[in-house]
Formats: sequence, C-alpha cells, structure tokens
Amino acid sequence: MKTEANVRVRARGLLGSALAKAAAYLVMGTFTLMTVYPLFWLTMNSFKTTREFQVNMLGLPMDPTLENFRMAWEFGEFSKLFPNSFIYTIGTTALVIALSVLAGFAFAKIPRRVTKWIYGSFVVGILLTINTLMIPLFIEVTILGIYNTRLAVLLVYVGAGLPIGIYLSTEYIRGIPTALVESARIDGAGYFTIFRRIILPMAAPVATTLAILQICSTWNEFALINILVSKTELKSLPLGIFKFSSSLSTDYGKQFAALVIGMAPMLLFYVAFRKQITRGVAAGAVKG
Amino acid sequence: MKKLIIVALMIAVAASLQAQVTLKVLNYQQADQAGYLEDVAIWERFEELNPDITLEMEILFNDPYHEKLQAYAAAGTLPDVFYVWPGARSAVIHEKKLAKDLGKLLGPDYLKNFTGAATNPKNQLGGYLVQLPQSFTYTSVMYVNVKLLKDNGFAVPKTYADLKKMVPKLKAKGIAVMMLPNKDGWPGQSCLFSTVAGRIAGDKFFDDVLAGKAKFTDKAFVDSLKVVEDLYKDGIIQRSDNAIGYGEGPGLFASGKAAIFLDGDWRTGAYITDKASGKALIDPKAQASDFALLPIVALPGEKFPGVNSAVAGTGWAVSGSLPAGSAKEEAAARLIKYLYSEEVQAIRYSTGAYVPTRLGVKATLEPLPAMLPGFYAANPKTSYVIDGVLDPAVYNVINDGLVAIGNGTKTAAVVAKEVQAAFEAWKATKK
Repeated sequence: MKTEANVRVRARGLLGSALAKAAAYLVMGTFTLMTVYPLFWLTMNSFKTTREFQVNMLGLPMDPTLENFRMAWEFGEFSKLFPNSFIYTIGTTALVIALSVLAGFAFAKIPRRVTKWIYGSFVVGILLTINTLMIPLFIEVTILGIYNTRLAVLLVYVGAGLPIGIYLSTEYIRGIPTALVESARIDGAGYFTIFRRIILPMAAPVATTLAILQICSTWNEFALINILVSKTELKSLPLGIFKFSSSLSTDYGKQFAALVIGMAPMLLFYVAFRKQITRGVAAGAVKG
Repeated sequence: MKKLIIVALMIAVAASLQAQVTLKVLNYQQADQAGYLEDVAIWERFEELNPDITLEMEILFNDPYHEKLQAYAAAGTLPDVFYVWPGARSAVIHEKKLAKDLGKLLGPDYLKNFTGAATNPKNQLGGYLVQLPQSFTYTSVMYVNVKLLKDNGFAVPKTYADLKKMVPKLKAKGIAVMMLPNKDGWPGQSCLFSTVAGRIAGDKFFDDVLAGKAKFTDKAFVDSLKVVEDLYKDGIIQRSDNAIGYGEGPGLFASGKAAIFLDGDWRTGAYITDKASGKALIDPKAQASDFALLPIVALPGEKFPGVNSAVAGTGWAVSGSLPAGSAKEEAAARLIKYLYSEEVQAIRYSTGAYVPTRLGVKATLEPLPAMLPGFYAANPKTSYVIDGVLDPAVYNVINDGLVAIGNGTKTAAVVAKEVQAAFEAWKATKK
C-alpha cells in the first residue's frame, strides 16, 4: 500500500517535472525564436534585390545576390569606418575599465570626508541623457580645438562610460573584505601595491561586466560621434549603416546588407566570448 | 637671374595657394535612395570643373542632419553651404537669419530661370530667400490602378461617393479601395489630412489659428477630421493600414493589394527601374497604360474644391557668416549655381528625385514620374501642408490623433480638443 502511494507520488513528481521542463523549453524556445528570427529574416532578405523583397518579404531568396553587400560596402565606405570602430571600442573599453576600477577602489576602500560627494557627482552622470549633452559637448570640443579628432571622441566616450563603470566597480569592490586591505597596510603595502596585488585580480568579474557593457555601447554608439566629427576618416560603423536607414528608403537590399555588415562583428564577438559574457553578466548581477 | 626665377616661382605658388578655396558643405544624402550614384557623380563633376575649389563634405540624413545643423548653429560654426527646409524643420536658420539672402546673392537675372513659387520669399519661414527650393512638392497624390478598377467594373473615381461604391465589391476580393500606410503617423497628416483640411477649413483658418482668431475646436477643423473618420468608417481606408509601415506601401500597391495608393509626389521614385536588377516594381509599360496620378476626389463639405496640399521643397543655402565679396562667397555662389544648373537638375529629374523648379529642364523619364508635370498643370490650386506651418509640438498631436481616429479609438471632436490644448501649451512657451 505504502509502495503504491510512493509510486503515485513519484509518478506525479515526474509528471510535474516533465511539465515544468516542457513549459521552460516552450518559454525559452519562444524567446529564442523572437531573438533569432529577426536576425535570420534580415540576413535572408539581404540577399534579395529590392524588387524581390517588395513582392516576397517572407520567403527565401529565389535568386540570391551578393551585389547588395558589394554596393553597401562601397557606398557606406565601411573600409574606412571599421578601423575607427575598433580604435574607439578598444580604447574606450580599456580606459573605462582602468579608471573605473581605480576609482572604485578609492571610493570603496580609502574613504575620506569628500568621498561621498565625489562618488555622487560621478554616479549622477548615469541619469543624464545623451540628447541634453550633445550641443554643450559640441561647443566645448569646438572651443578646445579638438573637434574632428579621435581624441575628442575618446575623451567623450570615456567620460560617458565612467559613471556606470565607477558605480559598478565601487559597489563590487565594497564587497571585498576590507580586512584584506587593512592586513596588507599593516604589512607595509602601499595603496598601489594593494590595488595591483589584491583588488585587481579580485575585480576581474566586474571588469568583464564593464567590458561587455562598454564594447556593446561604444560599437553601436551613434549620437555623440555624429556630433563630434564630420570627416569620414574619423567616423565609425553606425554612421555608415545610418546612410542606409532612412524611413523613405526605397533600396531595401542595400539597407539590409549594410545592417548585416554592422551586425556581424557583434555576433562574432558573442560567439567567441559567450562563456565569458555569461559569466561576466552573472558576476555583475551578483556583486561581491 | 636664378634669384629672379625663384622669386617668380614663389609668387606663382603663393598666388595659386591663395586662389584655392575650401568650401565646407553639409550634404543631405542617403545611400539607399534611387539616384545615389548620380548624386555622387554630380559632386565629383563640380570639383573637376572647378579645380580652384575644394569641397570638404559632411554627409548626413534625417534627424542626425538636423541635430548637427542645430549644433553648428548653436556654436556659430555653420558650414559654408548647407541644406535647408523652407519651414519649421530648419527654424533656427530662418529665425536667426543665419543664411545669406539668395535673392541678393544670385540676383534677379539668375532667379528668373525659376518658377515664381520657388523664388517667392513668402514661401519661406524667414520671409526672405533663405534657400532656393529645388522643387514644389505635392503631398497628396492618388496613385490609381486604372486597370484593376476597370477589371472590376469601375471608372476612375471623382467623388467620395464613387469611392464608397467600390467598397463592397473590392473588399470581397480582399482589395483595399484606398491604401494609406500610416504606421509612422505622418503620412495620415501629410498625404491625406493636409488636403482635406485645405479643402474644408482652408489656409486662412490656419492663419487665423496662429493669429489667435480661430481655434482647432472650430467647426471647420472638426469637420475636416470627420471626413477622415468617415473614410475609415466607410471602409474606404482600412483600419489595418495603421499597422503598415511607410516603406511597405509601394510594394503592396504594385502587387494589386489596393486600387488606389495615397502618397506624396516623391513616391514616383519608388517605381523607377532598379539599377541592380534592371526591374521596376511596376513594369514601365504597365505604368504607362494601366496607372494614373490623380488628386484626392471631391469631398463632402468642401469649401475650397480642387485644392491640394503642397509645399516649397528643400534647397541649398549659403552661410550668412561668409564675408560679402570674399573668394569664399564667390565660390559658394558658383557651387549653388552649379547645383541648380539645367544639367544637374535634369539628372535629378530623371532619377525621380523631384520635378525641378528650374524652368526648361528636360529629361528622359520613366512613365510615372513623367506624369507629374501634367498633374501639377491640372491642379494648380494648393493649400498648406500642416507640418510646414505648425510647430512639431502641435502637428505631432494631429498625427497621433489621426492614427487614433483611424483605429477608431478617438472621435474627431476629442482629437480637435487635444490639438487645441497642445497649441495653447506651445503658444504659452512662446510668450
């Protein structure tokens, strides 16, 4: 009797877990489809001529062409824009991580009377929208004589990335036991040694999170660079893609090809670093 | 002797360096529009023809263009030559008089080569010739599939009643009577309502509103909105059109999903043969034999029949900061004259960009763009395009209201009240 009841409970448990599993797969499958299908649709349509797209928006290309990619690459001047995107993304990410972790260490472990105020003045930057800054920034870089230079772009990008960088780093480093810092101080270590030997290795997860955030946002950034440079030689990829994305567009083939060109590096980045990205996001979510 | 030669050479080099002028140009150009390659060639040709002028070009489009122009204006670093709208879209240039008066710069002898509407300073917000409109744009044109109508036993419609009569038969076959893709909001206002309001309320009504002598809640404006309400209620325009993106319209119309497609005259460009595939959305032969461009039909309650919304188009302007009589000013004037030359305007005309305001421009055209001059000649009476006379704070409420009317979620009276409230709020910010 007891065995029969146990079997029934077990069976119910198995059914419940199977149902839960099925529901989980259904939800995950739906979200995967919602994410992947637009990418698939975009890529598929980039191989169609505009005419074919307009009469066959959902079907596979009947007569695939690479001409859209050739023309998009040429018209968008992507060969000039790609190197700039790499320079801005790598430069900004490296500087934001370095400065954020350094500042985070100071704010979290070397408290002074003014720390709260300085920290607050950085963090308030998170609340500022790009649109409110565009014209003042343009005027500033013009006055400083650095309009149309990579320096202006890097300075502004690093400035824009620091508020969230400092906030995340400070909160993460706060979670590292202060006793470690104090012990090292007692042993005669200077702050820079403590930072290099203790804090930096322990802050690797938050640095990864920052890298992910910064790489994605800098690679895709449009509004600021549009204001900061006018020469094609200094522009980045989003400005090239934008040439193909007007609401009055009539040439969808080239437009989609340009979007695929812009999207491809980010997809490759994800494929290459997906494990680190997942770990980094998790580390950022569960601080300390 | 040697010294003399060196000095002469130095003087020659110095003179040539002095003669070289660099013009900064903020160009409005998109790479996915018909005629892009031709446009690129136009600029290259200018530099070939004028080796003493170097163009330093920045190319943008849509909102980023306007944001950059705004930033340049705020910093006092406007480019030497830039692209300007005749109305509110380029308000900062007009209101602060940041561009030279082209009436003076180009002179009456040159300007007599253009239509009167293009050179009339009253058609520009600044009240002077801030820019020279390249075209005069009609924003409400009915693209009619005459063959489809004929196959279903209908003649080309002339009145609202004619349209209403078509609904049952075409609807049963899954064909829309009149398609107005309005997911983006603005086509409802620009391509339909501006003409409707122009015919029922008239331009004077808008002048009166701006002068504080009339209100959007007045009968004339509410009646105009009611016509739109009826177009949806009677099934002439389908409510589902509010889910169709602006870019989808030409393809759907070409595939016979609608008997009539409502759009601006610029949309003829969508039917030009695609250079990459050598094909057009509608075969040019069929365009010529089976399609027509017509004004919106006569509407119930019209007080200004035959009026169609139209607006002076965009054009080039010269920075007001260029010193009068300077080499830069001369170079800028030379560039402007080149851009408006018969040669350049013929290229733009043939690529379907627009019908030029320059007189006597001839080009080889595909059938639909070729119908436009006839359309303009047959419909000379024009009315305001609402987004050309009202501030975005007001016309965006009209756009949203028209979408709501189309969805059946708001009535004409409610939308009229909301527009008036938005107008009053905007007016208050101007005090």
